Amino acid sequence: MNRSLTLSFALPLGFSALLLGCSSGGVQNPKGIPVTQMNADERGFVAGTGVESQDLVAVTDKMARSILGVRQIASASVAPKIILEPVVNESRFPINKDIFLTSIRTKLNSKSQGKVSFLAREYMAALEKERALKQSGQVTATSDPKAVEFRGADFLLTGKLQGLTTRTKAGTSDYILYSFQLIDARTSEIVWEDSAEIKKQGLEDAAYR
Amino acid sequence: MKLTGDPVIDSRNAMDRGRPEDRLLWAYRGGLAAMRRGQFAEAKPLFDEAVTRLNGLLGRDRGARKARSAFYRESKKTFFGEPYERVMAFYYRGILYWMDGEPDNARACFRSAALADSDVEHNAFESDYVLLDYLDGLATSKLGGDGKDALQRAMRSPRIARPPAYDTNANVLVFLEFGTGPTKQAGGEYGEQLQIRPGVSAAQSARIRVAQYDVEVAPYDDLNFQATTRGGRVMDKILAGKANFKRATDTIGDAAVISGAVVAGTTRHNDEAALGLIAAGLLSKIFSAVTKPEADTRAWDNLPLFLTVASLQLPPGQHAVSITFLDAAHRPVPALEKAFQITVPADRRDKVIFVSDQSSTPQTL
Repeated sequence: MNRSLTLSFALPLGFSALLLGCSSGGVQNPKGIPVTQMNADERGFVAGTGVESQDLVAVTDKMARSILGVRQIASASVAPKIILEPVVNESRFPINKDIFLTSIRTKLNSKSQGKVSFLAREYMAALEKERALKQSGQVTATSDPKAVEFRGADFLLTGKLQGLTTRTKAGTSDYILYSFQLIDARTSEIVWEDSAEIKKQGLEDAAYR
Repeated sequence: MKLTGDPVIDSRNAMDRGRPEDRLLWAYRGGLAAMRRGQFAEAKPLFDEAVTRLNGLLGRDRGARKARSAFYRESKKTFFGEPYERVMAFYYRGILYWMDGEPDNARACFRSAALADSDVEHNAFESDYVLLDYLDGLATSKLGGDGKDALQRAMRSPRIARPPAYDTNANVLVFLEFGTGPTKQAGGEYGEQLQIRPGVSAAQSARIRVAQYDVEVAPYDDLNFQATTRGGRVMDKILAGKANFKRATDTIGDAAVISGAVVAGTTRHNDEAALGLIAAGLLSKIFSAVTKPEADTRAWDNLPLFLTVASLQLPPGQHAVSITFLDAAHRPVPALEKAFQITVPADRRDKVIFVSDQSSTPQTL
């Protein structure tokens, strides 16, 4: 009798345990994850194989330090004038093309102690308008508004992102080469060039493959 | 959620208040609807979100893990779409980048689109969209690079029409699309098989009339072909496993219940064993009932069927463009006439026009 009773409970319980073994585990982070403040050079828990903030910080830090060592800048008696030319993106990741050069510029401006200066060519339209107002006498001027004082550039800073992608059953691998150049505006000579490489890999969940 | 009938507003509302798993699906639908109205600024953030999330589609995902479990439907996973849908999200963002004078970012999108189309399950790393290679090479050529390799890939096996050689002096790009694209349905005993329902199109080509041009353009890509030829998904195997589990537990349940009934009816001293068998059988039936092998049939349902592009050389200034969609006998489909007023810029930037047979008309771009 006892054996039969045990059997009548054990059979369905054992069966359910077997079946439940096939189901998934518990839900991860059921209450979500609160906002987490991170440093820009940290790799977050939201990540892909593309260009991310930690790459930007690492690459632009390296470039800014490298540019300061260029002979034409380090030993110049007058701070050379640099203009920025948008980087060319040859990778498979769409990017904000100004962000690299903006980052390099701000780092150079803050660290170079006046060894370089940048020309704000992207604001030329607004600057020309202001000059025209001064020339027409509509607003005051502290110097002769007729004199040409917009500076010409000594160097042009630009860069390129190039990528190589591999995708197999094992996952996706993205290699990106970030290269930057400083070009003499008078001679077209490349006076400085440096690069940084970043490779990332990952695999999407089987549900998306 | 209350629908307003305005696809862009409804998409926005669904993104904000609908199921989080469907957010990208609504972004896709809303983005395309906005582009067809000429609301490109509305479309951009929607496709930006899509591209960012598609490029970050790696690693663990809670919804995906549920979708693989026997007791959740596949539609519990975050919707990213099948490869043909992912490709189109990159494609549209690429067009928008080109409109903004960023052909290199457009090319990045076309390259990501080609990657999304590659078949890793069969180790066939090869996209077979004509347009993705063609536009990759065209952007490269316009940026001063060598686009010959990409052009050769595009020319390798055109299924419908062969695209022309690049004209790098062309300053107007007309992206055309027409027809209703493929959608999805569930097949198999438990709806575990994802099947593609092909789209249809009254239009088979388009005629562009502007300035000195009167050109007929045939499609280069067909989304029915793309949706049906890429090969199987890993998820198909998982769903087949779920269906087998459902079938097996159902059969075992039947067998256990019947056996229990037989034992109870034929022997006098095994009532508990009979009860145990019946209980196990019922439990097995319950597991069968709660197993969910249904395929995810959520689909980007306003996609077109055919895609093509034309490049033209026009002088700077205003131009009236008319687009006529033509049937298989090259006769105009009158309901699909479109008229655009465009301004070609004087600088070296390309003027990019996006025209669907469902575009609102007239438009000033």
